[in-house]
Amino acid sequence: MAVAQDAQPARNAERPTRAVHFVRLKLRLTGNSLRGQAWRIVLVVFGAIAGLWGALGGFALFTAGGVARGDGGLVIVAFAGAGLTLAWLLLPLLFFGVDETIDPARFALLPVSRGTLLRGMVAAACVSIPAIATAIALLGLIFGAAVRGRTPAAVVTAAVGAVLGLFTCVVGSRALSSAFASMLRSRRVRDLAAILLAVLASSVAPLQLTVSSLIAHGNLARAAGIARVLAWTPLGAPYAAYLDVADGRPATALARLALGLVTLVALTAWWWRTLESAMIGVASGARSAGSAGRPASAADGLFPAVLRWLRPGRFSGLVAREWRYWWREPRRRASLISLTIAGVVVPAMLRAGSGSGGAPLPVAVAFSALLAAMVLANQFGTDGAAYALHLLVGVPGRVELRARACALAALMAPVLVLVTVVIALLTGAQSQVPAALGVVAAALGMSAGISALVSVLVPYAFPESSNPFAVSGGTGGLRGLLALAGSLVAAALLAPVLVFAVLADGAWAGPAVLATGVGWGAAGLLIGTQVAGGILDRRGPEILVAVTPRR
Amino acid sequence: MTDNALVLRGLVKRFDGLTAVGGVDLYVPTGSFFGLLGPNGAGKTTTLSMAVGLLRPDAGTVAVLGHDVWSDPVTAKRLLGALPDPVRTFDRLSGSELLAYIGLLRGMDAAVVDARAAELLDVLGLADAGRTLVVDYSAGMKKKIGLACALLHAPRLLVLDEPFEAVDPVSGALIRDILHRYVAGGGTVVLSSHVMEVVERLCSHVAILAGGQVRTVGTLDEVRQGRSLEDVFVHVVGGRVATGAELSWL
Repeated sequence: MAVAQDAQPARNAERPTRAVHFVRLKLRLTGNSLRGQAWRIVLVVFGAIAGLWGALGGFALFTAGGVARGDGGLVIVAFAGAGLTLAWLLLPLLFFGVDETIDPARFALLPVSRGTLLRGMVAAACVSIPAIATAIALLGLIFGAAVRGRTPAAVVTAAVGAVLGLFTCVVGSRALSSAFASMLRSRRVRDLAAILLAVLASSVAPLQLTVSSLIAHGNLARAAGIARVLAWTPLGAPYAAYLDVADGRPATALARLALGLVTLVALTAWWWRTLESAMIGVASGARSAGSAGRPASAADGLFPAVLRWLRPGRFSGLVAREWRYWWREPRRRASLISLTIAGVVVPAMLRAGSGSGGAPLPVAVAFSALLAAMVLANQFGTDGAAYALHLLVGVPGRVELRARACALAALMAPVLVLVTVVIALLTGAQSQVPAALGVVAAALGMSAGISALVSVLVPYAFPESSNPFAVSGGTGGLRGLLALAGSLVAAALLAPVLVFAVLADGAWAGPAVLATGVGWGAAGLLIGTQVAGGILDRRGPEILVAVTPRR
Repeated sequence: MTDNALVLRGLVKRFDGLTAVGGVDLYVPTGSFFGLLGPNGAGKTTTLSMAVGLLRPDAGTVAVLGHDVWSDPVTAKRLLGALPDPVRTFDRLSGSELLAYIGLLRGMDAAVVDARAAELLDVLGLADAGRTLVVDYSAGMKKKIGLACALLHAPRLLVLDEPFEAVDPVSGALIRDILHRYVAGGGTVVLSSHVMEVVERLCSHVAILAGGQVRTVGTLDEVRQGRSLEDVFVHVVGGRVATGAELSWL
């Protein structure tokens, strides 16, 4: 619509497109998506408050980096900068998705030069709550430089560093997610992408471990050692540069800024290449070979080999289709991979955590089981308009929700059991395995039940995009918070089993917790889907409207 | 058994204050081939979505062979086969997988599903597509698999939104033949289109919809009254069909 405004008189047609147009387009699109949607406005307000809160926290932290004496400043600035950058890079992949209000593919037919498009995309990406919050937080860096350095040179260096850091965050997160998106689109390399993501995600773990152990021991000297290394990586370099100016080492500062600049340029080039392939649709493939191998019967073809023992029927058909979809649909595949990785990394981290043995095994695995079923929190949104088929056929809500939960459980339960057993063996907690498995069953069932409720109460549409990490403009990522709220409720409902698992002692404790957990999870699943199924039967058409992507 | 396969009474749908469908009444006789005509944005798709139970009307009722779609959906949906306008289906399955899935969802016997799916795929020329996913089908193939999905459970009423859009002439002739045989066998077809020739050739009854209202309805001859359907359509709907002095720069 913003474009249409500019397009009316013929003499305006030659006016060059500038980055500001993209910003206006994004604001207009976001504004239109909010029109008449009270609850979306509420979400945006909540997001803005959360962003402001984070921004002020960051501002205080970076200012403290300038005020602190000795090595303290370097430690604070390097760790805060590296943490900020890592959060920008990894959080969109794992949880929140990337705002694709402005999809580069839409510009493929317009006479917009590459440079303009790139500048415009960056400018538009900067107009978002996280980016603005980061910018406010980085003002703290400049403020800290003014306090510490008391020279214009230090302030200027801090300002340049802050700008470099901000753009590294924004461009880096875009580059990483679009690179993974194009990888996941082609089936051949999806396993490679999974491994890469695993490596990335697990690289967070050591960092988190060192930080927490440093805090636990109050060991400033060791922290300063790590901070010095971080300050020479692209993660921390731009933030630490002004400290060198303040301490009278301008050459070092310049080297750090140059490192930041080179990183930014490299990231931009990388992003540009993936953008180009997205625009001309190089990786749109995922085309299955039209091989002649036709299965003996249609029903047999629908069921994956693992599920072929099921008697063909409505429930088993649903389970089989869901199973196929977890593998064939890029968005689902991406979340399945993220979940599996989180399911491995989180319990391992919790077990290996601070000093004496870490969290008990049942507590360590509870989180990943809760998270696993939370992927169902917008199960109708992931199907999108395809849900119309179920509505046409008239699938009973209860059957539908239970089949979906069963398909996910069939996929995730083996992973969770394997993770539990392996971690138990590695950390010498074999005796806790039955109790931990009980907690896994309870958490999975409870979380699936709550997810079923969330999915019928607040369904929302994903944009029609080939990027599995894309969320719709403005409010999309914030709705991830709904899933988070759901998992908090599920965690609260899980608490009794968890307490029982941790406190129970004696020979029969393990099997007792296992039985209780299985019963608890089954009850949660049955009650949740019972209630949600009734709502689904009544609200089916409304849910279809809510999950159909707007064109 | 009632005389009308599909009855719409006083259907109303508003979106954000805009009235998309403002009080549509339609009586589709059993055994008829009913064409719903209208310009873009007339409310054809909205009306048909409400008729098949995908979109809840703000007011009005829909009955399929005497069963209300909104209060007795199970019976109504068993008698009804529908091809919604965008291929809104689970398109990451192959053609035969999709048919098997729908058959099982409808509670059909697996052996019957197998036999019918194979026959439908053969007749519609989709058997060669093998394991290609429906998402990778061409637009015409998507229409054909959608039709197969609608026919699988042998419904008594078919509701088709734009069944001939993007279909090549050969496939179009094939689909026309299937639909003719279906109506000859006692079935009822309701289809929407904005292509006059298709409706003129196929339909026994016609309704012209514009601005969310039924402007004209009746048998094909009643509506035409000796003129061509296109003339009637332009007359009823209004709007310009020729340019004056504008666009001289073109």
